[in-house]
Amino acid sequence: MSPIHDQSYRHYAGVKAPLGRSWTVIASAGIMTIVRKRVFLAILFVGWVQFFGRAIGFYFSNTIQQLSVLSASAETFRSFLEYQGFIVFVITIYVGAGLIAQDRRANALQLYLSKPLLRSEYIVGKLAVLAAFLLLVTMVPALMLLLVQVVLAGSSGFLKTNTFLIPAIVLASLLQVLLASVTMLALSSLSKSARFVAIMYAGVLFFTKAIFGVLYAITGTTAVAWVSPGENLAQVVDVIFRLKPRYATPWQVSLLVIIGLVAASVSVLERRVRGVEVVT
Amino acid sequence: MAVEAVVMGTVPVVTAEHVSKWYGQVIGLNDVSVSVPPGVTGLLGPNGAGKSTFMKLITGQLRPSKGDVKVLGEPIWRNPHLYFQIGFCPEQDAFYDRMTGLEWVRALVRLNGLTEKEADEAARRALAAVDLMEAAGKKIGAYSKGMRQRVKMAQALVHDPQLLILDEPLAGMDPIGRRKTIRLIRDWGRAGKSIIVSSHILHEIESMTSNILLINNGRILAEGDVHQIRDLIDEHPHTVYVRAEDPRRVARQFLDDTTDDVRSLRFEPGAVVVETGRPDAFYARLTDMAASGEFGAIDEVTSPDDNLQAVFQYLVK
Repeated sequence: MSPIHDQSYRHYAGVKAPLGRSWTVIASAGIMTIVRKRVFLAILFVGWVQFFGRAIGFYFSNTIQQLSVLSASAETFRSFLEYQGFIVFVITIYVGAGLIAQDRRANALQLYLSKPLLRSEYIVGKLAVLAAFLLLVTMVPALMLLLVQVVLAGSSGFLKTNTFLIPAIVLASLLQVLLASVTMLALSSLSKSARFVAIMYAGVLFFTKAIFGVLYAITGTTAVAWVSPGENLAQVVDVIFRLKPRYATPWQVSLLVIIGLVAASVSVLERRVRGVEVVT
Repeated sequence: MAVEAVVMGTVPVVTAEHVSKWYGQVIGLNDVSVSVPPGVTGLLGPNGAGKSTFMKLITGQLRPSKGDVKVLGEPIWRNPHLYFQIGFCPEQDAFYDRMTGLEWVRALVRLNGLTEKEADEAARRALAAVDLMEAAGKKIGAYSKGMRQRVKMAQALVHDPQLLILDEPLAGMDPIGRRKTIRLIRDWGRAGKSIIVSSHILHEIESMTSNILLINNGRILAEGDVHQIRDLIDEHPHTVYVRAEDPRRVARQFLDDTTDDVRSLRFEPGAVVVETGRPDAFYARLTDMAASGEFGAIDEVTSPDDNLQAVFQYLVK
């Protein structure tokens, strides 16, 4: 005789985790995938070279009177972040281009979104992967550099006269990282090819910079800097570090352009991150 | 609680009320009202009939243009909490080929809130349930079509869901894999799980359940007992595509035994296409042949949807 199975009430035996935490699973899986790549570790190492260079500079400026030209100032930290822009660009492309594109290529979104995972959690998880690595080459070394300066100077005098530097570094880094990660993620959601996304991102940055150059040559004023995302960021970061803005564009306009870019990227992500792509 | 009522058998696992779905000018599903009872239900229809649209609506991946879809008594659209009770196996492959089967299932089940250790244990259990534990450490890129289907099923059942939704789970499987999978689905049904399984092959559905939904041109044509339309199928020749290591040897065996009512044979590169009047007997013998190993490897068995299309044309006349 075949067994008779009880089909009446039975409790669900699985684990019910509250919604809203799955983004950590997406983020940790993404981070682990990237840190296993040797090429990435090499990029990360290069990303810290400037930190070590500046730290050595601080050491000599604090110990040798003649080398006081290397001593720290607000401008030092602003230029540190500016030079880190190149490594931010490289990491954004290396880590970010495939973040959603590869899931789209593998049809994985359909499966992810048939699990207890909100679309917003998926996006936040992917964003966290890129943002974590970018903060590791911007905010973290910049704050450590500040600490190095304080330690080498043997007093907190520099920090007392420049108390705004800590929030300035945090804010400028967050703005730089937010702009790079959100725009890259939006581009990544538009294609199934990480290579194409990388080319698109680099193309947009270089093209807008070139457009600014051409407009500047024609008009003779830097008020047209708002056409380039990179110049807008530089303009706003100058203000954050209490420096004179480098372009004639009002910094408020630059900030609005950045906010607009972030909003447009979020809108793209909202439309593109779906389990099923409907083509009509 | 609606979910509890479902498991008590008092509420249908899926209800659709006047559901329509348009893709621009194209209609995918047309004013469908249906209740799917607990147990195993087959969704049967030719390609383009609306099966996948129906599956996507009941898994909350698409929003109906009109009407309401409830799963386990609750609206499925934008209700991800329901996914704790649902397991979905899509028709298309959805893998990272560089991952192993174990890594892939483990990563997906973590989205259900399991810790790494719990996820590992659950993934191993699920892979064992689909008879894939031996290949758990192999990269998915090296898996055969049948193994890929089974690993997809493993991720669907790994969190022990109440409702399993399987979209064409037997597509492209070898005969042994088909038999194992059919047995698994029947066992899960007997164990009290509700399963909705789609196919365009009546024979497959019939071997899993007698409760079917017939869908064609975006409409539900009939629901109920498969045996009522069984005779209609037999009136129409059934075409089967068999990809094998030695198609000529396989074909010779088909012709030697006339009980399968093989009406015609034709060869394609690496395959033989058979037209049979008795699909039941034919599939059973094909499985035995594959199991015996005497006829070389039989890698893939597929059936075009024109078999079913003929029956549907007859039904809608």
